[in-house]
This record gives sequence, structure tokens and C-alpha cells, in this order.
Amino acid sequence: MTERLIYLDNAATSYPKPPQVLARMCETYARMGFSPGRGGYDQAMEAETFVERTRWKIARFFDVPDPNRVIFTANATDALNLAIFGLLRPGDHVVTTCLEHNSVLRPLFHLKQQIMIDYTPVPFNGRGLVEPSDLTRAIRPNTRLMIVCHASNVLGSVQDLPEIGRLCASLGIPLLIDAAQSAGQTPIRMSEWGVSLAAFTGHKALMGPTGIGGLVLGADIDIQPTRFGGTGMNSESLVHTETYPHRLEAGTLNMLGIIGLSAGLDYLQQETAQQLHEQEAALLKRLYDGLVALPGVTIYGPPPGPDRVPILTLNVDRMSPSDVGAILDGDYDIAVRTGVHCAPLVHETLGTGNRGAVRFSLGPFNTAQDIDRAIEAMTGLSGR
Amino acid sequence: MDESGGSPSESQATRRVRFLGDRRIVFDNEGFFLNPDDWSKEVARLLAAESGLNQMGPDHWRVLTFFREFYYQNGRAPLNKQLRNSLGMDLLTLEGMFPEGIKMGARRLAGLPNPKSCL
Repeated sequence: MTERLIYLDNAATSYPKPPQVLARMCETYARMGFSPGRGGYDQAMEAETFVERTRWKIARFFDVPDPNRVIFTANATDALNLAIFGLLRPGDHVVTTCLEHNSVLRPLFHLKQQIMIDYTPVPFNGRGLVEPSDLTRAIRPNTRLMIVCHASNVLGSVQDLPEIGRLCASLGIPLLIDAAQSAGQTPIRMSEWGVSLAAFTGHKALMGPTGIGGLVLGADIDIQPTRFGGTGMNSESLVHTETYPHRLEAGTLNMLGIIGLSAGLDYLQQETAQQLHEQEAALLKRLYDGLVALPGVTIYGPPPGPDRVPILTLNVDRMSPSDVGAILDGDYDIAVRTGVHCAPLVHETLGTGNRGAVRFSLGPFNTAQDIDRAIEAMTGLSGR
Repeated sequence: MDESGGSPSESQATRRVRFLGDRRIVFDNEGFFLNPDDWSKEVARLLAAESGLNQMGPDHWRVLTFFREFYYQNGRAPLNKQLRNSLGMDLLTLEGMFPEGIKMGARRLAGLPNPKSCL
């Protein structure tokens, strides 16, 4: 047994959070835990100003000009639901990919079951990438939206969004990206790439807490509200507020989450996201090199490379993924994620079906010693 | 003998009724007991034989007994480290004792319900 947990489940949620993020959350919320935009007293106004500044930070981070088009949500799933239900109408068709998480697949399937829409999931190649020509072939006259998982939560592959964005722009089809795994790992240039909407979460590579995420809208897209209620504006009217961002935000915002998200963004700026990405990429390569030659170990997806988030997924011959995870945890104090990773079409494509695989996902606090310990553990398992 | 559940609901459609020994037992789609009280040593022996484990030794029974006692005392299965420390064996060894491993082998043969989350 090791002296401390080796946490390799950062694609689920990053852990630990940077101490300065946690400290800022406690300090700022103690001072500013008021209802933002809901009162005229100084503290409420100060809270609202903090929220607006965070919208600015996020707008800059995602390369959109208007901070009012940054919508706070509970997480990426919440943001994707908002976008999908706010955009699609009966008779619409959606082009998406087999790399998607259930946060995309289940809303689409639900709408299809209601006989409202249809969708086409486009397969990926051996490098975990979707060919733009395959996306083009899937488009129909009634295609209303394209949804692409920017970085796969199983394979770690990162899609060529500039090319896909150009394709969508040329066809006049809005592009919605699931940035749950990519935000904080790789730059996202929405305006430059022609991305109309980006759904993100704060608790993964953005290093914030759980319970906060967002939907960022480009200037070319409007979506309908899916929830209605108090916005702190025009309260005398029964008609829900039409202006952004309040049009899509009903109810009191998650102030503590917004403070944490803001602190997470500051942390990435201080540490430089690029430097963290390079550090994690080097550790991913170390892990890959240590595991690729082990007998009985099958690694899925492309080898480590430049367009890659730090995820490595594998199986061990004649051993269930859940047991591999249990042994890593119980015998070695190593936390990984096993199963289908909420991405059933990925595992269907890989042939890993219902049992899934074992996913190692790295974060900024992992060390070379952590990786060597994981390799040592996997060497023991594969040689049993 | 098998029967398929005919209900359209997810939970019932994935159920499977089997007659093992003198018992009628409802399993889920992965072969886990829906009701741990349906378990008996005889049923465990039959299920073990189906999995390729024809001879249950003292260590096998010790594992199943621990799973069941822990479950009835705590209302849940033991955590990985509790399993290792209480049994006094590493989990790699435990995995090798049952042809279907820890979850599908030991835990299932002990009659514990299928864990709800993806493990």
C-alpha cells in the first residue's frame, strides 16, 4: 500500500483542487455570499459585479465578444440540455458523432423517441477522429445542428474543430461543441473556428468545484429558454426576460460555484494552461510507454501526441474492468474509472460492449512517481 | 430453467427468473440476485459450478460469508480496502480465486445485489 491516494480519475473531476481556489472560495463567499443582481444594497451589487467579471473572463477564455452570452449552468450536461432543447424543433435533424457522451446522446434519443427529431451519429476512425467528409455525408436538408465532442472522455482524441467549424459555416449549420474534457486542456477559439455554442463544466480541467458550468453562445445564434422564473429583472411582468444572459438563467445563481470557477480560471492563467498541458502530456507518454508492451494489455485510441487530452483507456485480458479498478484501488491505492464511461457508442465501436474498459486520466497534481506506481501495478496485474 | 420478464419497464424487462434447487429466484440481467434473502449455500454451489468453480473450498466460503455478513450489518457491500483488510488477502489473489473474478464471481455468488453505479 502507498502512503497516499494516487488519483488518476481527473476526467471525472479534477482532484485535488488547487489550494488557492479553495481558499478564494471560502474567503470570497464569506464576504460576498449575497444574491447577485437581486437587490439594490451594496453587497448585492458587488456580488453582481463579480458575476459580470466572471462572464468577461469566460468570454475571453472561449473567444467570444459578448459576455452577456455566457450562461451559467450546473454542469456541461445541463448546458447541453439547454442548447439541445432550446434549439431543436419537431422535424429537425442533427448530425453528431459516435464519440459523444450520454449528455448528448440521451437528450437526442429522448427527442427522437418523442417523434420530434432524428439524428445521425457519425463513426470515428482508428485515431479517434471523425472525418469531416463523413460529417458532410450525414447532412440532410433538415439538418438544424451539428454536435461534436471536442475531446473524447474515453480515447482522449481531440477533434479538428477549425476544419469542422469551416464546414458548418459554409453550410449555415450551427456547431455545438461538448467541451467538458477540453476546456482548460486545449485552447478553444469559438469565433475564429466558427463554433456557435460551447458547453463546458467548471470542475474538470478548469479546476473549479462541482455544480458550476456554462453554455457560451456566439453572436450568430439564438436559443429559446427551456426554464422560466425569476431573473431579478422586469419582475412585474409574467413574460420571462428576453435579454441575455437572464433569458436562459432562471433562479438564483450558484454564487459559490461562480467564485470557484473564477478562481480556477485565474489558477490556469497563473500556472499557464499550456505549461500544465505539456506536463500532463509528458506523464501520459510515460504511462503509455510503460503499459504498451505489457502482455495481455490492450490500449484503445491513438498514442500520445500533440492533439490529445491526458486520458489512457485499456483492458486486461481475462479480467473484468471493474475488477481491475477494484484491485488498483484496494491493493495499490490508485483511483481510476472503469465501465462504459457514459459513452456507449464508443465502447460499441471498440467492441468493449457493456463491460467497458479501465480509464486512467491525469491532472496537474500527478507526478512521475504516480505514473511509475501505476505502471508497476499494471505490470503485476498483467503478469498474474 | 429460465423465464424472461415480459414487462415493458426497464427494471422488469431485464429480470430473469430461474429455478435453482428448490428455489424460484429472480436475477437481474447480469445474474445478480434481486433479493439477497433468496440466497442459500446450495444455490451458491450451483451458480459456482455454472461459472466453472466445481469445488468450493473453505477460503471460498470465508469470502462469501464475509460479503454476506458485511452486507447485512452495513446495508452495503464492503469497500475495496475493507475487503482486502478484512479478508487478509490482496484483491488480485481474491480475483484469481473465482473464475469470474470479484464482482461477477465472489460478489454475485454471495448473493449481493448488483452495484448501481458503473464500477
